[in-house]
Amino acid sequence: MADERSAAGREDDALRATLAAEHAAVWGYGVVGAALPPEGRAPAGAGEQAHRDARDRLAALLDERDADPVPAEAGYTLPFPVLSAVDAAALAVVLEEGVSASWAALLDAAGRSAVRLLAVDALGAAEVRAVAWRVAAGRSPVTVALPGLAGT
Amino acid sequence: MSTSSPAGFSRRRLLAGATGLALLAAGCTSGGQDDAAAETAAQDDRVAGQVPVQESVVAAYDAAAVADPALGGRVAPLAEQARSQLERLREAVPDATSSASSPAAAPPPGADVLGWLRGQVAAAATSHATACVDAAGARAALLGSVAAGLRGHEAALA
Repeated sequence: MADERSAAGREDDALRATLAAEHAAVWGYGVVGAALPPEGRAPAGAGEQAHRDARDRLAALLDERDADPVPAEAGYTLPFPVLSAVDAAALAVVLEEGVSASWAALLDAAGRSAVRLLAVDALGAAEVRAVAWRVAAGRSPVTVALPGLAGT
Repeated sequence: MSTSSPAGFSRRRLLAGATGLALLAAGCTSGGQDDAAAETAAQDDRVAGQVPVQESVVAAYDAAAVADPALGGRVAPLAEQARSQLERLREAVPDATSSASSPAAAPPPGADVLGWLRGQVAAAATSHATACVDAAGARAALLGSVAAGLRGHEAALA
């Protein structure tokens, strides 16, 4: 049973790490939206809502398991100054790639197929948003081979 | 945590029977060595089964480039990524043999080549995602990542 408990603990830890990443993404999308012109904010609003939904799903999952969720940080540090629409898109790419790494780690740690289903859907959705932001940021190529995995 | 986690062999057997999955948890030892060995074999099969799916994606990019060279030039970086995804899947199942019998995919004459290619990529993404849910550990992460990568391709091909 010790192995079972540690496997469940590993999944809980990965759920918490993903929740922390989603908290950061929700916060970061506020910065993304603020740096975009009003007529260009719709994708930021949609992204923020998607991360709020993911955050709430993760918190509910942890709650169901009597595992403590992690709260949002009081403050976050931007990786670079966000002064233009291109900066905003580049930040959104960072946010989506950040949550993607967490979702992929959760796939690795998950013991339950229901958790993997949530994670694989979230990973795909994050990459689809990342593609749009890489286009907006002028990146090339706009896709990556292995979202969420190191060394891609 | 102990009441809500799917711990315990009988519970897992029940779930396995209900869903037709051979296994649900990674690194479980409560079933003994035979189960662990069967689990590893089943996991290898899960990834091995996705190798031909990914081969068909690589073939679809090649066929699209033949049918529409301008499009082929535009999607060359994506085709390269599809090849590296295939490489990673093959590495995950060292014993996998290349399935030379994969049906050669080609867009139907007169078809919208871009739309056809997008459809091929989308179907493979769904297949990998489904296999990911049934896999575990590093194999689940790899299959999920390849699925997500192809979702991104699908978006880029829109």
